[in-house]
Amino acid sequence: MTRRTNRLPWLVVALLLLGGLIVTGMWAPEFVDPPILENVAKDEYGTTVGGLGFFQVPGAWLGTNEYGVPLHQFAAQGASIVALPAAIAGMLVMALATLSGLVRCADVPWLDTVLQVFGELTGALPRMVVVVVVSLLLPYDYKYLLPIALVWAVLASPAAMDEAAASAGRLGGARFVEALRAHGFSATRIYLYHVVWMNLRPVIVRQGAEVMMQVVFLEIALSYLALASNSPSFTHAENMHSWAELLYLGYSAFLGREMGHALIASLILVAITAVMAQSFRFAARAR
Amino acid sequence: MKWWMRPLVRLLAAILLPLFVPAIITGALWALPGDPASIICPPGACDGGEALAARWDLDQGPLHYYSVWMSNAATGDFGRSWTLMSGSPVYDEIVASIPYTAMLVGLALVPLMFGTLMAALGWLPKSLDYLWQLVGLLPAVILALLVAAYVTITWGATFGDWRPVALRLVLGGLVLGVADGALAGAVMGTRSVFEEEVKQRYVQIALLRGESVLSNALPNVLPAMIGQMRGRVLHVLSGAVVVEVVVGIPGLGKLLWDGTLKQDFGFVLAATFVFAMFSGALMFTQALSEIAVALYVRRSPRGVLAEVQP
Repeated sequence: MTRRTNRLPWLVVALLLLGGLIVTGMWAPEFVDPPILENVAKDEYGTTVGGLGFFQVPGAWLGTNEYGVPLHQFAAQGASIVALPAAIAGMLVMALATLSGLVRCADVPWLDTVLQVFGELTGALPRMVVVVVVSLLLPYDYKYLLPIALVWAVLASPAAMDEAAASAGRLGGARFVEALRAHGFSATRIYLYHVVWMNLRPVIVRQGAEVMMQVVFLEIALSYLALASNSPSFTHAENMHSWAELLYLGYSAFLGREMGHALIASLILVAITAVMAQSFRFAARAR
Repeated sequence: MKWWMRPLVRLLAAILLPLFVPAIITGALWALPGDPASIICPPGACDGGEALAARWDLDQGPLHYYSVWMSNAATGDFGRSWTLMSGSPVYDEIVASIPYTAMLVGLALVPLMFGTLMAALGWLPKSLDYLWQLVGLLPAVILALLVAAYVTITWGATFGDWRPVALRLVLGGLVLGVADGALAGAVMGTRSVFEEEVKQRYVQIALLRGESVLSNALPNVLPAMIGQMRGRVLHVLSGAVVVEVVVGIPGLGKLLWDGTLKQDFGFVLAATFVFAMFSGALMFTQALSEIAVALYVRRSPRGVLAEVQP
């Protein structure tokens, strides 16, 4: 008896989380609230020692920073920074992986070779080194996450393309297509349904979801490095606050500030991103 | 595709990579709005921009700058810092930073090699895969942050003591070795390669003859394993930029980041050139090993038989 894989719950979770990320990003305020110095934690001498925790201030359910600014606004702005670039980067990787798999099945040796050479060259350098240099070389008006995310996606694509091509190769490549043609199926049905949907989908979706997650983590890393160096971030405008800022605030909890809630909030956001990517992966897994 | 195509492409790419990377950066530098010399000497903030541009070879276009820079780099002269440490030789800083990055990468490879070996020998149960995957979901920046916090709390701002430096390196290496799916990739990647190979008839027959899987399958899986290992080293080098800055290790990645923030193309060019050299060397090694394995596998049957039946 074969056991049927139930993918629907994972798909629902994945779409809910992605939808939540995009909707939160769309609803993010352009500027966070001005400081409210009553909404901060103080010691017995009246000195500010951090922000207030979860639900301690009405309307600031993620707590506040040490100037009394609600942290959920930071989280919403962070979502608006990452949502679209991450989704686009994920889709780009999925498109390139699909192309690579189809080329292997279509038996176009020269294009297959071109794609493999492309993979060799783009995967030759450490990705972060390329991203840092690209961030430096981007003109000021383009210093946003999207171009960086696209570069990351292109750099990440060789692995996805290799895996998709290998999956198509295991399927039988051109012989698989030929066999289906003999059954009378149309080319569209063979390539889009039998090859991509039925066979390449697990690989393509997993790689796309992973790159989506990586782009979110990349944004956090780049913004955190900029914050740690007291410099403007390459990934967003100065009126915006990244999720890295929650992490940066949370770090001060280790040094005695009352900002543990910011650390927990940032870890929850990271966990949500990881769960979203894993849910997509499970939703697309093979039977 | 012929068997020699991939190694050949790799060999060519390995040779061209250190030449291309500075060329692209130099080209992009001139493509940016404004004069490159204005980065060192912003108009209005300092005088003598033209003389400075001439002294720094920035006055005769990108081709001249690139050719001078490359010929100097070939003799070990990476020029001088533009803004980060204005005027000081880049070479000294680069040379001082390389050991830290090398140690960090070396330490990161310990868990990776361990995972690879254990998976190749089949000593890691599949049931633990979820654990590696779970750990691999953690981004390097967060683990590095915890390491930075731990070292700061434990050692404070201690200067001149080797122990916090060593601790940063060891824990930073551990972070790079497990975060961002590094260990999970090593274990599961190795296992999947071996599992595919074990299904081959020759391995099954070898097993019936009482021989080990590893000794029979290794020559055939070696190219894939070397490719995976190169990918892992690149992955670790990529993460090293983040870990070095967050944990506070004065390596090549931190130098690159500091140079980027200050728009110091002197440092950026030199650091990326070293990264490109290292990546090229990895690619070169992979190509050579692929050729060696291919030649070994394609030896005449007489030679193989002589080895099997002496």
